[in-house]
Amino acid sequence: MFETLGERLNTALDGVRGSGNLTEDQVKKVTREIRLALLEADVNYGVVKEFVGKVRDRATGAEVSKALSPGQQVVKIVNEELAELMGGTAHKLTFASRPPTVMMLAGLNGHGKTTTAGKLALFARKLGKNPYLVACDTYRPAAIDQLQQIGRELNVPVYTEGTEPSPEDIAERGVQKAKAGGYDFVIVDTAGRQVLDQDMMEELKRVRSSVKPHSVLLVLDVVTGQNAVEVAQAFQEYADFDGMVLTKLDGDARGGAALSVVSVTERPVKFASEGEKMSEFDYFYPDRMAGRILGMGDVLTLIEKAEQQMDQQEAEAQGKKLMSGKFTFEDFLKQMQMIKKMGPLSSLMGMIPGLGKQLQNVQIDDRMLGRVEAMITSMTLQERRNPKLLQNPSRARRIARGSGATQQDVQKLVKQFGEMQKMMKQMGKGGMPRIPGMPSR
Amino acid sequence: MATGEKQALEPEAGEEPEAGATTEAPVEEEFVVEEESDVGEEFTTPEDLPGTVEEALEPEEEVVASEELSEPEEETAEPELVAEEDSEDGGSGGWFGRLRHGLKRSRESVVGQLNAAVAEFRDAEDEEFWERVEEILIASDVGVTTTAKLVGELEQEALEKNVTSAGELRKMMVEHARRMLEGPVEMDVSNTPTVILMVGVNGTGKTTTTGKLVKYLPGRVMLAAGDTFRAAAIEQLQSWGEATGAPVVARERGSDAAAVTHEAVEAAKRDGVDVLLVDTAGRLHTKMNLMAELEKVKRVVERQLPGAPHEVLLTVDATTGQNGLRQAKMFGEAVGVTGIILTKLDGTARGGIALAIANEVGVPIKLISVGEKVGDLHPFDADEFAQALFGEL
Repeated sequence: MFETLGERLNTALDGVRGSGNLTEDQVKKVTREIRLALLEADVNYGVVKEFVGKVRDRATGAEVSKALSPGQQVVKIVNEELAELMGGTAHKLTFASRPPTVMMLAGLNGHGKTTTAGKLALFARKLGKNPYLVACDTYRPAAIDQLQQIGRELNVPVYTEGTEPSPEDIAERGVQKAKAGGYDFVIVDTAGRQVLDQDMMEELKRVRSSVKPHSVLLVLDVVTGQNAVEVAQAFQEYADFDGMVLTKLDGDARGGAALSVVSVTERPVKFASEGEKMSEFDYFYPDRMAGRILGMGDVLTLIEKAEQQMDQQEAEAQGKKLMSGKFTFEDFLKQMQMIKKMGPLSSLMGMIPGLGKQLQNVQIDDRMLGRVEAMITSMTLQERRNPKLLQNPSRARRIARGSGATQQDVQKLVKQFGEMQKMMKQMGKGGMPRIPGMPSR
Repeated sequence: MATGEKQALEPEAGEEPEAGATTEAPVEEEFVVEEESDVGEEFTTPEDLPGTVEEALEPEEEVVASEELSEPEEETAEPELVAEEDSEDGGSGGWFGRLRHGLKRSRESVVGQLNAAVAEFRDAEDEEFWERVEEILIASDVGVTTTAKLVGELEQEALEKNVTSAGELRKMMVEHARRMLEGPVEMDVSNTPTVILMVGVNGTGKTTTTGKLVKYLPGRVMLAAGDTFRAAAIEQLQSWGEATGAPVVARERGSDAAAVTHEAVEAAKRDGVDVLLVDTAGRLHTKMNLMAELEKVKRVVERQLPGAPHEVLLTVDATTGQNGLRQAKMFGEAVGVTGIILTKLDGTARGGIALAIANEVGVPIKLISVGEKVGDLHPFDADEFAQALFGEL
């Protein structure tokens, strides 16, 4: 999401990196770029001003360290200030000492509250909780239906009373019901509303006081523009939220709204929601996000994702094989399947240090993986283990037929695979140049 | 459930009460029966899992569906609501008045700030003044590029003409914005049937706007529930169908959107409706597989009815920041968007993204949506919009 902002800052800092002395002029130029980048990323105007001011003060200030060049110093300052703005570390879910833990979701229309309700329920269940959903959106047609369908998919009960009773009454009775049923994690979904609609905001306040939630989450679409600040302030006043869920993070919005809201309300982003699948929901890692904004790559997230999906030993064995050049199509297929489990390729690529910038014009098509997979599965075991066999055109023709590809596709794959084998072998010997942007060990 | 029989409950909802009643029954029945087995393979979301806890727990739940479905009808078809809408239109200049009313309540509003800044204008050589205007425009979601262009033009003209009064400058600002925003707002609904494809990112208001369009468009309108992905999207469209008396062509959730569309076009041709509105699932413009699916839906329409779809309308949430530009560009490239509908202008939205889109993408904004009621859809008026952004409060 933040790639483009990262690119901008990288461009701004390109002139600074490696330069020996940081003149006042350079600082000015750099801060101007940072300012524009942040504005283009939809960070609120006031927030940008404050942020840029801090960076400028610190950069031109006396903090010249002997260990760092002035250029590195600015990178460090921007990174630190961004990290501070986004809040320090991830906020883990806490639970009420006397269950049930009651969560309430609030936000503007269309920002993804109902979907988030489902995702949060699943997330809580993975933490060993027994979730329960309460449907209080009595306004939007079929909103209750939507939550019920999500509940059915996840096998989580949904409390509804239709659209007649007031949302605060439904919410209160819903929580009671959950308590009686022994559920320990209740999520109250509310209707989307506009902050200038006084009646609706008052209603939100009433829902809040009737259920006395342990936590209120503001659900915010990452594409939100400059008005994020007013939105956040209004929801703070009426719902007193203690954290945010940032949604649609799988798009390409730069997400400056998140910076704005955190800065103005001093409430952290607690969760990140990306993707159409119910499982695509996680804690938000602000410290890492700052690194990602700067194009330094979200190494930590990538590692964690990989660890979740890959068997450690398997991965090590694969790695060794890879470097030795004895890598076969069989291994390739295994790897591809592991990668697929980690999520869409495009989102993974964004996390690899140094790749963010190079890939800005490259469109990554996840279907490519599917096509390659189809070709490999059409090979015999022997062919997978010994790719040289595939130089025989009749074999290539057979595979093309079996996988719905053209013969050229198959030949191209075999050729590329051969090159990859060579490259990997080279890398294993330490012959590859360092990937730009990768921190040296 | 998705294909459950729908009846037009209250004929007073539409201008042609008999339209809903006569076309509805045959269309619905036919599709319900023949298409049950067809479930799209690309969707993995399980539907209708049996024996959930919720069923055991909540007997009241049974009544939800019917209560819930009648809700928008109350909201939209009540005569007094329509009347209220009319009086609002007459009393305060339509959506424009409403927008202003909202802005007045928010004292810190950008329009208010701009108003105050412009009131102090005396000298076109005052750099600080232009910087202030720049700031406010950026804070209105106009974006850095378009702001630079607009302020550059204004400054140049103000210097050339030696403008010294706030009133004069304000007129210039409105004029420049109007020129930027102007575009062909007319929709081509001359064909029978006219097919309109509704597209957009998740949560931008496609289904709601589709519902509102039934009342807005002339003639008999049919709806196609092409959002077969999101939970209850079909039900949401069906309740709009009930409220407005428009027949809805729908299949089960998880069906192939292109197949639903295919049937809907056939039904529209056979029944002789004037307009077919095809709702589609919300999708992020970055998801190539979902964009490809949308292209397929469009191809299906093209093949069945030469010249169709006659309009491809993109809903853009007015509170969106600069990502709105990307949305307009990417959807434009994929399915050739013919017009934009700016939604949720009743919030704290500045709507500055409209200027950015007009300047940088070049797709005309055709409609704006300013509220939750069925009558809250209006043709886009560049002059009014420019006035709302830059006119005197």
